[in-house]
Amino acid sequence: MTAPRNLGGSLARLLFDRQGELTRDLLREPGQFGLGQVPQRLAPDRTTTMTCGFCSTGCGLSIHLKNGEALNLSPATDYPVNLGMACPKGWEALAPLASKDRATVPLLRRSRSEALAETDWETALEFFVQRFRDVQTRHGKASAAFLGTGQITIEELALLGAFAKFGMGMVHGDGNTRQCMATAVTAYKQSFGFDAPPYSYADFEQSDVLVFVGANPCIAHPIMWERVCRNRNNPKIIVIDPRKTETAMAATLHLPLEPKSDLVLFYAVANLLIQNDLLDRAFIERSVNGFEQFAAHVAAFTLERAVAATGLLAEQIQELAFSIGRGKAVSLWWTMGVNQSYEGVRLAQSLINIALITGNIGRPGTGANSITGQCNAMGSRMFSNTTGLFAGRDFANAEHRAQIAELLSIGTEHIPSEPSWAYDQIMEGINRGQIKALWVVATNTAHSWINQADAHDLLGKLELLVVQDMYSTTETAAFADLVLPAAGWGEKEGIFINSERRLGLVKKVARAPGQALADFSIVKLLAEAWGVGPMFKDWSSPEATFQILKRCTRGRPCDITGISDYRMIDEMRGIQWPLPEGQAAQPAEERHLFSDGRFHHADGRAKLLFEEPRKAPESVDKNYPLLLLTGRGSSSQWHTGTRTNKSPVLRKLFSEDCYVEVSPKDARDRNISQNEWIVVESRRGRVLARAFISHVVRPGQCFMPMHYAKVNQLTFPSFDPYSRQPSYKNCAVRLLRKSEVPDLD
Amino acid sequence: MLTTTAELQASSLGGSPLRTSLERERKRLPLVQHYLEEQAQLTAVERFSQLHETTLLPAQSKYYRSLLPVSKPKSGQQYAFSVDLDRCSGCKACVTACHSLNGLDEGETWRAVGLLHGGTPSSPLQQTVTTACHHCIEPACMEGCPVNAYEKDAVTGIVRHLDDQCIGCQYCTLTCPYEVPQFNKKLGIVRKCDMCSDRLAADEAPACVQGCPNEAIAIRIVDTAQIVEDVQADAFLPGAPSPGITLPTTEYKTKRVFPKNTLPADFYNVRPAHNHFPLVVLLVLTQLSVGAFSVNYVVTSFYATDAVQRYHALVALALGLVALAASTLHLGRPQYGFRAIMGFRHSWMSREIAGFGAFAALAVAYAAGAWADPLLGALGLPALDPLWSVHLQRWLGAAVVISGLGAVGCSAMLYAVTRRELWRLSYSGPRFLGTCAVLGLSLTLVTFSAAAYFGTAVSGVVLAGLCQSLFAASAFKLLLDASVLAHLKSPRVTDLKRTALLMWGELATLTQARFLVGAVGGLGIPLLLPVFFSPLASHVQLPNAALALATLGCLLLVGGELIERSLFFMAAASPKMPGMVGQ
Repeated sequence: MTAPRNLGGSLARLLFDRQGELTRDLLREPGQFGLGQVPQRLAPDRTTTMTCGFCSTGCGLSIHLKNGEALNLSPATDYPVNLGMACPKGWEALAPLASKDRATVPLLRRSRSEALAETDWETALEFFVQRFRDVQTRHGKASAAFLGTGQITIEELALLGAFAKFGMGMVHGDGNTRQCMATAVTAYKQSFGFDAPPYSYADFEQSDVLVFVGANPCIAHPIMWERVCRNRNNPKIIVIDPRKTETAMAATLHLPLEPKSDLVLFYAVANLLIQNDLLDRAFIERSVNGFEQFAAHVAAFTLERAVAATGLLAEQIQELAFSIGRGKAVSLWWTMGVNQSYEGVRLAQSLINIALITGNIGRPGTGANSITGQCNAMGSRMFSNTTGLFAGRDFANAEHRAQIAELLSIGTEHIPSEPSWAYDQIMEGINRGQIKALWVVATNTAHSWINQADAHDLLGKLELLVVQDMYSTTETAAFADLVLPAAGWGEKEGIFINSERRLGLVKKVARAPGQALADFSIVKLLAEAWGVGPMFKDWSSPEATFQILKRCTRGRPCDITGISDYRMIDEMRGIQWPLPEGQAAQPAEERHLFSDGRFHHADGRAKLLFEEPRKAPESVDKNYPLLLLTGRGSSSQWHTGTRTNKSPVLRKLFSEDCYVEVSPKDARDRNISQNEWIVVESRRGRVLARAFISHVVRPGQCFMPMHYAKVNQLTFPSFDPYSRQPSYKNCAVRLLRKSEVPDLD
Repeated sequence: MLTTTAELQASSLGGSPLRTSLERERKRLPLVQHYLEEQAQLTAVERFSQLHETTLLPAQSKYYRSLLPVSKPKSGQQYAFSVDLDRCSGCKACVTACHSLNGLDEGETWRAVGLLHGGTPSSPLQQTVTTACHHCIEPACMEGCPVNAYEKDAVTGIVRHLDDQCIGCQYCTLTCPYEVPQFNKKLGIVRKCDMCSDRLAADEAPACVQGCPNEAIAIRIVDTAQIVEDVQADAFLPGAPSPGITLPTTEYKTKRVFPKNTLPADFYNVRPAHNHFPLVVLLVLTQLSVGAFSVNYVVTSFYATDAVQRYHALVALALGLVALAASTLHLGRPQYGFRAIMGFRHSWMSREIAGFGAFAALAVAYAAGAWADPLLGALGLPALDPLWSVHLQRWLGAAVVISGLGAVGCSAMLYAVTRRELWRLSYSGPRFLGTCAVLGLSLTLVTFSAAAYFGTAVSGVVLAGLCQSLFAASAFKLLLDASVLAHLKSPRVTDLKRTALLMWGELATLTQARFLVGAVGGLGIPLLLPVFFSPLASHVQLPNAALALATLGCLLLVGGELIERSLFFMAAASPKMPGMVGQ
């Protein structure tokens, strides 16, 4: 009976089929674990939350696991950072792990004329030790240096920094964090007495006036912008940026100032605040040093001077000043537009000063707040052991060295007393022949360093270049003598610290390909091979290392001795520093600093620091008439693209071709048409880019996203004198049609 | 959990061939082995599984509840996406949320993001626009689908695609003005947004609504009458295709007044579209076949050419069948191709297939009729009554021509309804007929020349007439094809100007090849060929050079038309939602 019916059914389905296997491919089912419906194919049997490994927002991602392995992910609803949201990079965080060009095995070349060839770990370790020792024997210990990152865990950063300096005897080591937040570090240290970004993301929701300076959170930190959108105070949002960015579009007031006129602007604003007595005199009295001198300094910054320098209207500047002066809870936020400047430290401090004199610090919704870049930039600030000794200490300070020697049970003689060179000084050291061997970990110097052509030459000058990375295809790995294959985010355990000082966990939810190892394991192996294994005997696992680092923070402003272990961090959904022993932690807590008005200088007071603005090191002229700005192009790209370019979905969300934003006026003057391939030329190099002609950028300026490999062939290498951070955002260029450049290759 | 070292090693090495070469080199250090083994163990569950939500309810619902309608649509209403442009900050999370929460294949996306910009130096505009299926009131995908693989839900108005019914013809990717249906090469079908209908049914928000950090996307109930009313004012979204075609229901809200010069970021980008080569072959060879039958029909109306048309019919039929076979290569799932006439009542594709099916059947009958005498003779059977069979062949011939031209008409309509400017009936109709004429004349010239070469009686008048007609038809066709280049002068970047820019720019080599080949084959050779015979001769005897020349001409013309038809696809500017920079 059933056979004919089945036959009939099959025949009918042959003609019209509404639920076969293709339909089932997309079926969804309740995902449990509070997830709502999920694709049936990807239904998890467990979930666990971990911190995203792209930017410093530090979103919690709920990883959908099957048999312990990550299948899929969605943003974690109960994570206090992101409240169930993520940007495209976070959603696609697992995709780059599966990329075909992962480094799976050590690669080595014994001479520069050879190509990199596969080898085993034993040979790689031996090569590393022999070659570094050889260079150090011939040129001195300090001739070997390392460049680290803000992309690996604090345990790995600490082990790397400890091994390189205490084990190998290196003196110079710095991180790519120099490129993004060194200015903020220095500014906070000088002003507050410690590198302590004072805010939590709750402040975005609690302000009634938010000022964004050189920051485009809509694109660079979309989840922080989410928090701004959740502000129910109908806040004034003031954006100070030469470009009409996405954030400027969403602002209630956009001040498109002349690039690099910002320091004059903020001194003038301070002057207006003082003139109109829009100050918190009680707070200044109690908590701030140097007010009189500061007032005298800014008195010269009249409204007229600011108007002339910034190109803004007097009313606009007044509105900015009065909004700040009259706001109940004013927060000032900055990112790379401030940090990446030749006078970045004083500029950041001009914002800190405004917060201090108006008492906008230590209360909900306030603060002079630096938004950091990388997922663990804040961790590197505390634990990378590069330019600063562990937990915000100084190499030059004998007491600090003694403390660390005792805490780590190593001899003081192993701790260099000489402070490390910064990134640019290491690069310059290579140029002068003082640095002969370089170990690059999880960063892509050949793409990201300012004035890239020069960086390429420099890497070629080294006797030894070791690159440790997830990918063997980065621009930097192409120069390497040895490539060590690293496991990535999601393939190892450890801690990242986000912009609001929250320690979050990274967990092991995916298998690393081939013989790639966690950076932690790689450094442990190298330490063993170097013969200093016993020095790191207690650093037996990432979590054991965390316990060591915890000890190092005791009594410091970043004290985290109140955190018992990883599990506590997991249960609390991340924990912000400080949490000294004895202080209770609440789940999903959001805490800001300085509620008591006490800062970390010896007298407990903050300092007002200021200086006369200087002329930009490179300005436009007849030959190079346009100012090139750089920045993030889209929220689906991360830095040099070594990871985000690996996701087919993310690739659909940004322009494959490098492009340059040009104002319609400048395009017309040069007869450039929309979408045309043109030549952008600076004194240092030239690149091809498609013209995107738009009023988003003002006449006289142009903008290029930093994600394209060649952009940094144009940038001008100037540095902030205090933070040594490069000034990526001002160089003079000219635009040419291809036909005007006869020798184009 | 992995237990043995062997398993551990196998998994840590991912079964790569590296392992053997490494073992050859040296002995493993125990510590290296230790870390490799440790690396292969996944520890998240073991160490951190204590935090598990016991609730089945979606935790995220507290954030999205206000973004969903509280009731079901009533009669005259349906669900629609509502996009608050003022809240959209350009993060593009919606695209990835949709991708991940719906388990789409690698690189497959059902949502897209574009950029509008404009304004003045002192008041610039940039506005990100997110877009998915608009769940139209008159879905063009559904209208075009030849296998009825689309359904519009009577209650919710959601336009669903029935994946198992799809044969992968991709016609909906051409009829939808918003590039919504996405072809999945691996599966051989298209797939699209269904507004997460089963999530909505369970009071959960669609993935994009859940994933937008700024609550810019919501599901709202709209009145279809209101949509129709709004469409009259053409006020959908600047830079988007006219909503008059399909009545899209998505609402784009903003308090902003868009400046007059608001344009999509990709407005000036002209990039070649996909070259649907099987369709190129289908169109050109079916038109050749129909043309050859038609020309033959006209010629035989005036001159008896029995012996010639026997071969002629066979060649024309064979090429027609090749064309139809080639068209199945375009299907993602050719094994279900038989479903393609199900949509006859609404789909021009079904009609085209039915038309060519009828044409092929009649052409087979006609060719069989032409070969009846020799076949019957060979089998020792008596010949048919000539009075009767000649009559039948005349009528069959007419039926072949009528069905063939009808099917070519369906082809033209099939493209015309996609609203691409280049594919309008006023352009494509004459072009398709021109191809019929040029290739039909050229093929007839070849078969007649062959007949003349092999000694069959062919009159000089016929050959000369064919040459002249071919020259005229080619001249007409080339002028027609070139006419679109006149749009280069248009001050506005219209769709036809985009076509002209592509033909003159990125596709210039193809364009030049098309005109060169077409001119030699269609103008040069028909001019040259009459040198070899006298138009007054009643029985022309051609040298092999002349036959070779005629054949070469035909091949060149087929090549020329194939290039022309490739340009028809590649240079056609398609309607689309605003795109991003560099898209």
